[in-house]
Amino acid sequence: MTHVVLESCIRCKYTDCVDVCPVDCFREGPNFLTIDPDECIDCAVCIPECPVNAILPEEDVPGDQLHFIKLNAELARGWPSITKRKTPPADADDWKDRKDKFKELIR
Amino acid sequence: MDICSDAEISRPEHTPGEPVHADAVIVGAGPVGLFQVFELGLLEIKAHVIDTLAEPGGQCIELYPDKPIYDIPAVPVCTGRELTDRLLQQIAPFGASFHLGQQVQTVQRQPDGHFLVETTAGVRLLSRTVVVAGGMGSFQPRRLNVDGLAAFEATQIFYRVQEPAAFAERHLVIVGGGDSALDWALHFAQPGAQRAASVTLVHRRDVFAAAPASVARMKALCEAGQMQLIIGQVTGFEATQGRLTRLKVSAGDGVTRLVALDAMLVFFGLSPKLGPIADWGLALERRQVVVNTATFETSEPGIFAVGDINTYPGKKKLILSGFHEAALAAFGAAAHVFPNRPPQLQYTTTSPKLHRVLGVESPVFERRD
Repeated sequence: MTHVVLESCIRCKYTDCVDVCPVDCFREGPNFLTIDPDECIDCAVCIPECPVNAILPEEDVPGDQLHFIKLNAELARGWPSITKRKTPPADADDWKDRKDKFKELIR
Repeated sequence: MDICSDAEISRPEHTPGEPVHADAVIVGAGPVGLFQVFELGLLEIKAHVIDTLAEPGGQCIELYPDKPIYDIPAVPVCTGRELTDRLLQQIAPFGASFHLGQQVQTVQRQPDGHFLVETTAGVRLLSRTVVVAGGMGSFQPRRLNVDGLAAFEATQIFYRVQEPAAFAERHLVIVGGGDSALDWALHFAQPGAQRAASVTLVHRRDVFAAAPASVARMKALCEAGQMQLIIGQVTGFEATQGRLTRLKVSAGDGVTRLVALDAMLVFFGLSPKLGPIADWGLALERRQVVVNTATFETSEPGIFAVGDINTYPGKKKLILSGFHEAALAAFGAAAHVFPNRPPQLQYTTTSPKLHRVLGVESPVFERRD
């Protein structure tokens, strides 16, 4: 099993989650974070840290976002590790309540 | 920090030099580490318990002290703190030695097969067995992430207060919005022997995760001009001759203020890090310790792993699974401690021997004719 970063993260990328990860399993892309499923130990500490509730355990991922499980694994392979919180994008707050952000994802 | 329990906790005085001999060392004082004391105790093995936190309880105390837990058998609901207190009460008869506020750094096998366990506080134990109950790792303070600030840690930036007197009459910046931040801000802002020259509290939101009375008191002190509150984040700093002199604090309104300071206290809470356990030579899988499920022994004979730190086919990270693992690990450890006397399974309901170790009276069963 693993935990998965979902659509709400796109263009928000608050990065609060990376500070608390005990095994440094977050990877950073231009406007999205992913969890490396080979590193995640399912401790769930990151879940309440996310201001936009973007992280869920694999088995709780809603049906319309199941493709994020595979996507996290794929993107994690190419993106660098992030272990410290950083300032979110200036317009993060404008995007936090938006739906259908998948087309905004930059790989 | 005070121990929030009536249970007797023995904190042995440490004398440097010769290591102390032990039968079992438990690394981690979370619920599973505490129950491990009980299971070892029934088999007459006395344990030393080591934890980074200053009080027992692990995740139950650090992450969810007041949240209800519903899946402890026969306890329909209890909080993390209640579970910890009850476990401490349950293990009290076994007189475990607690070494708190320190981290196990090394575990090294000696030529005679014992393990030398050394902590950051200089405690050295020579043990026949080690049980790793390390959960998700040891809880470490979350750092303030501003490039270059780390250079001032331990000289001007502190994540815990060890000697409050050192901050008296200094210009203090305190960062955070929880109880620790508020309590220390009040401590140093109020009249008293340790009053600081100035106290500036910096928190990123105007919402505090602290006792309402503390928040009210803080606001009153700000009104009275005895301390200052800035809603914002530390984003940079100025230093002269290797000393931190001013902090840049950016507020939500886009204004960046410069705050002069002598020292800064940061309270962002704690989060677990796996830490040195990864370096003890144990077989790991996804950074968890591989065990066999008969005895919960690791790849190193004599070292066991129980609770969230271990992995095996079908593993579920539940406190109750950890309790089961602790029972079997105790029997595994007993085979090392008493190699010529394999322990027999006995029941606490009927065994006079277990009543003796528990310090309770044996019931007299009435004969039914």
